[in-house]
Amino acid sequence: MRGYSVYLLSRLGQFALVVFIGINISFIVTHATPIDPVEQSIAAATQYGSTSPEAIAMMRQSLRELYGLEGSPWEQYLSFWRRVAVGDFGPSLSAFPTPVSVLIWRAIPWTVGLLLVSTVITWILGNLLGGFAGYYRRSSLLRFAGILAMAFHPIPYYIVAFLLLIVFGYLWPVLPISGGYMMNMERAFNLTFIFSLLKHSALPISSLVLVGLGGWFMGMRSLVSNVVNEDYVTYAELGGVKRRRILASYVMRNSLVPQVTGLAMSLGAIFNGAIITEQVFGYPGVGTLLISSVHAGDYSLVLGITTVSILAVSTTVLLIDLLYPLLDPRVRTV
Amino acid sequence: MAPATAAPRAPAKENGKAEATIEPVLVVSGLRAYFQTSSFGVEREVRAVDDISFHVGANEIYGLAGESSSGKTTLIKTVAGAIRPPLRVLSGSVVFDFRGRRVSVYDSDPQVMDEIRWKHLSYIMQGSMNVLNPVRRVRHSFVDFAFRHIGRKMPEFMDIVRTHLQRLHLTPAVLDAYPHQLSGGMRQRVTIALATVCRPEFIIADEPTTALDVIVQNGVLAMLRDVQREIRSSIIFVTHDMAVHANLCDRLGIMYAGRLVEEGRTADVFKAPKHPYTAHLIASLPRIGYVAARKGLEGTPPNLADPPSGCRFHPRCPLAADICRRQAPPMTWSSPGHRVACFAAATGSAQ
Repeated sequence: MRGYSVYLLSRLGQFALVVFIGINISFIVTHATPIDPVEQSIAAATQYGSTSPEAIAMMRQSLRELYGLEGSPWEQYLSFWRRVAVGDFGPSLSAFPTPVSVLIWRAIPWTVGLLLVSTVITWILGNLLGGFAGYYRRSSLLRFAGILAMAFHPIPYYIVAFLLLIVFGYLWPVLPISGGYMMNMERAFNLTFIFSLLKHSALPISSLVLVGLGGWFMGMRSLVSNVVNEDYVTYAELGGVKRRRILASYVMRNSLVPQVTGLAMSLGAIFNGAIITEQVFGYPGVGTLLISSVHAGDYSLVLGITTVSILAVSTTVLLIDLLYPLLDPRVRTV
Repeated sequence: MAPATAAPRAPAKENGKAEATIEPVLVVSGLRAYFQTSSFGVEREVRAVDDISFHVGANEIYGLAGESSSGKTTLIKTVAGAIRPPLRVLSGSVVFDFRGRRVSVYDSDPQVMDEIRWKHLSYIMQGSMNVLNPVRRVRHSFVDFAFRHIGRKMPEFMDIVRTHLQRLHLTPAVLDAYPHQLSGGMRQRVTIALATVCRPEFIIADEPTTALDVIVQNGVLAMLRDVQREIRSSIIFVTHDMAVHANLCDRLGIMYAGRLVEEGRTADVFKAPKHPYTAHLIASLPRIGYVAARKGLEGTPPNLADPPSGCRFHPRCPLAADICRRQAPPMTWSSPGHRVACFAAATGSAQ
């Protein structure tokens, strides 16, 4: 057990280091962008009609104070960390004075819902089909599935998304093409709302599943076709162990170990949002929020989103690492 | 081919064994299994098992010897019905007789074979250290392989397994271990326990002790022999280690380049080898008190994709005559229970 606590401690240290470096990089990058949120706001305010230079200078001064952009970069850096420590990313600069955290919390359920469902569906389907294809190598149906997966895999997913939009939104208009739920609908926990939610998520989810499937499929297929040649599989076959048992407990179980790591990585990446998918389908998630905040030069919001996703990715990877020994007993004794 | 190839012999008196062999448990006749591959239109055929016939009697340990790549493993894989492409069986038959139940390996449904496996026919694979599923506890292997054959309720079944393990000097605690937590020798003993827990009539053992040091090897062999005596099963035992053969096997078959070249009772083969290859194999063994340097045999085993004409041993054979290059020698009986495929042996000059 002492071995495990040493492992746990070093792993936690790694986690802290990764989070620290990641947040620093996003702080530097956002503050190095040429877009100035103050100038953006002034430009917006002075778009119509003329304002005297003195008034503009005063506006600039008060906006700087408001946005917390006063002081040297070092002071800004320190106050940024003070705020991060209590989970406060300050007010959004583009949707002033709504706090950044409120905006992020509003967007997260959409993105997580969309991506969690599609990632899990993709992972399960891809691994099952890939596992079957690797084990029953002579099935012509599964070979065909392999060709399909290989054909779909390199297509950029926005192309697939547009294709789905054209087919199900225009040629055969059965599904809504934009938004998270029907406009003007009351957000209540009832059947009509849930149905509308599902209907709106059908296209974005299918586009993500269609494109993501190929990767898991091919990965699992090649893992399985290696594991199939392992001695313990041959031996189980010679022992007359039931085929289904061999496939599940011998072949799949051993191939799944690296795939679970992959799942952890893509689950962590969920918080980044599928930026392009959300754009194409007008989905009110984190991806859309991130794009608009970058355009508006909204430091605080960009930093808030990147910090949340850095934390999310690192935490999921950490959790999976800690759970790994349950999956592969050989890790336990290290 | 020689008419005598497959004929099981009348019960010869086996060394020290009371039981006489009337009906063989396993009859292999005219077995040919080639590796056939074709890549970019180039057909390649490796004749790993070429026209082999032999039988194994009840309660008998039959040894298969020969150097690496002589086709030993391929032969027993073919016997066990463990064929995977590119290996293909071209002709011949493998028939087991499990106390009256005849099973022809290449004419039976896969379901029948699955039912036979482990109950009547078990296998100890080469590299038996790596045959246990690395992500599951040893207990699950026993359940997967043996539970359905023993036909008891789970607690009773586990009791049987525990008793069996104790008989093989293994603590029942290994059941809760993962394979990587056991030493190599323990894993091999677990594998032997796994292969014998259903008390099968026939066990095929492919170099079960090759990776072990001699002390552990000795223990494992003694254990295997004890189990064999107790459950009265037949064993095909493959190893390139002649010393192991001398200690363990009742009868011995020598393979060279995919063919059986000599077969007889172990004592006879060691005392009076008929085939020049066997003679060299035995002459290379160290003996206590004999200090002269051991002679090795010149050359290497032939490439089985393009074997030599005639007798496959002729390029390395000191006695090779003209006929050996042109014609493959048939198996002929040189004395009761002892047969050899060599022209020189037929004229009595192999010694």
